[in-house]
Amino acid sequence: MNIRRIFCASATSVALAGAGAASAETMTIGITQNNVGVDSYQTTYEKAFIEAANANATVDAVVLDAGGDVARQIAQMEDLIQQEVDAIIIWPTNGEAVIPAVRKAHKAGIPVVVTNSNIAQAGFDFVASFSGPDNINQGARSAEIMCDKFKDMGIEKEAQVVHITGQPGYTTAIERAKGFEDRLPEVCPDVTVVDTQPGDWNREKSQKVMEAFLVKYDDIDGVYAGDDNMGVGALNAAKAAGREGIIFVGATNFAVGYEAMERGEYWGSIYQSPVDDAKAALQTAVDVLQGKDVPFLNYFDTPKITQDNMGDFSKPVF
Amino acid sequence: MTAPTKEQVGGFLARQGIIVAFVLFMIGFSMANARFIDPDNIMGVIRSSAILGVMALGVTFVVISGNLDLSVGSMMSFSTIVVLDLHDKIGPTLAIPAMFALTLGLGAFIGFLVGYLKLNSLIVTLGMLSAIHGLTLTWSGGKNMDIADKEGTWFKVFGQGDALGIPVPILLFVLLAALLGIALAKTPFGRKVYAVGGNATAATFSGIRRARVVFICYLISAFCVATAGLIQASRSLGSQNTVGQGLELEVLAAVILGGASLLGGSGTIFKTVIGVLILGFIQNGLLLVGLQFYVQFVVTWVIIILAVWLDIAAKRGKLWSPIA
Repeated sequence: MNIRRIFCASATSVALAGAGAASAETMTIGITQNNVGVDSYQTTYEKAFIEAANANATVDAVVLDAGGDVARQIAQMEDLIQQEVDAIIIWPTNGEAVIPAVRKAHKAGIPVVVTNSNIAQAGFDFVASFSGPDNINQGARSAEIMCDKFKDMGIEKEAQVVHITGQPGYTTAIERAKGFEDRLPEVCPDVTVVDTQPGDWNREKSQKVMEAFLVKYDDIDGVYAGDDNMGVGALNAAKAAGREGIIFVGATNFAVGYEAMERGEYWGSIYQSPVDDAKAALQTAVDVLQGKDVPFLNYFDTPKITQDNMGDFSKPVF
Repeated sequence: MTAPTKEQVGGFLARQGIIVAFVLFMIGFSMANARFIDPDNIMGVIRSSAILGVMALGVTFVVISGNLDLSVGSMMSFSTIVVLDLHDKIGPTLAIPAMFALTLGLGAFIGFLVGYLKLNSLIVTLGMLSAIHGLTLTWSGGKNMDIADKEGTWFKVFGQGDALGIPVPILLFVLLAALLGIALAKTPFGRKVYAVGGNATAATFSGIRRARVVFICYLISAFCVATAGLIQASRSLGSQNTVGQGLELEVLAAVILGGASLLGGSGTIFKTVIGVLILGFIQNGLLLVGLQFYVQFVVTWVIIILAVWLDIAAKRGKLWSPIA
């Protein structure tokens, strides 16, 4: 039994070395996720991943979760290497700390696919492909959504914007903020970002931050939040203070954001489906194993969603 | 009327050092940004501090009795998620008492372990922090919980409503603070709490049933957490599973900042309220001053440590301890 497993594994390695020799045998793909259950996105992702793996007869999936703990994730990587899986998908708990474990897998001849948020650049040499959203592009698209709306309203010359970011130090937060702040002056050079504060991906925290902004600034025309959860927190603060006419733009459209858009209180967001995210990660791993040519940064599309085109999208399940 | 003597002034400072610190730092922030003392801003800060404040009231009892409660953050997430979920399933009128019963059940369980089985409260509540988090995730399946009809429900009154021109969260906070303040300072039960925390052995020999006192302290804490969860749920009408994460340390900081001893036996409800307000106004003040947020983490704790130092220095009448 053991011998057969080892034989199978080395056979796959050989197939890999030959690059392109698609094998009809089943491939075992292990995944270690960041923190399932901590938010709806990750919960939906896991479900979708398992469904996609079950639907693919040639894939055997080993699904693990690190519970947000770096040490546990490294141990899971080592377990997967021990089990000699054919490929490993990792949703990094920390972009730096997991690099040694990724390197170890790479050395053992197991291709690693990073999903959702990338590891630090120092580890790129050990990664077969990154599958996930392009967060810089998302930030840029949010800037465009906001700018277009300001132009419709004719306030693109004087509008003032406040910016609520995700958790400081978190790659997604940094990239979205960068995308937004770089793109906004290109499309709307006269709009000013008057303040930036973190909302830590947390609705309540973001509500507090917005309350302070409302006291501090008499004139706020737009709010950009790093995700809809925080955007809705800011919206709640503005509603409680009776401040109307503010344009709210978020990212990662959540059900609460979608509903607020239906009510006409929230202008737009970026549609990022955890189901697409999970399917893309699995497909990337399968493509890598089958020797297909996979781009290093394998982004899946995350379109703009606003009150104008929301009919084209189904309400997010999370 | 005679001018107060130096001893009287010194005595006042010694008793109320933390209040002096609070006033000093309010003046400082007001000078940095005049909007800080705008009545709307002050009302806003107190309203958003109410959640932390209500939790701190209960934890004050636990700390004075010589124990810790690190589970309040995840217990608050639990209450919030449960009441939001039940709101749509059985209606708010039943959801609220059901949530209170479940949360009190958790409090009773912790009280039983710490009070009657005499297990170390740090370990028990640290364990319960994760256990309750797991329970919350199991309940919700990891999903965000939202009330479907956000406009139509009367449930939003606890977090968003006004009564007598004052926001309801503040009223709940003040009401609970008054009730618990009287219970702690003026009733035999309150004196037993101090006795158990101050000297457990002496308390036992005085005929105080220690286990029962500790048990009731945890029940009070759970009741406060349930109230905080109610306000939180009603304020945002939807919630993540991690809404209370990390609050246990902020609550503890507020209680200690108010001068309660971690070793038990001292502290008052009034000073805990001051501790809560200091924390709330620091967060708000730093936002208004517009300090870069990486620096804010540092400044927050520098201010807290300064306040505690001022309090201690006023008590002993010297900035430095005479005993090295």
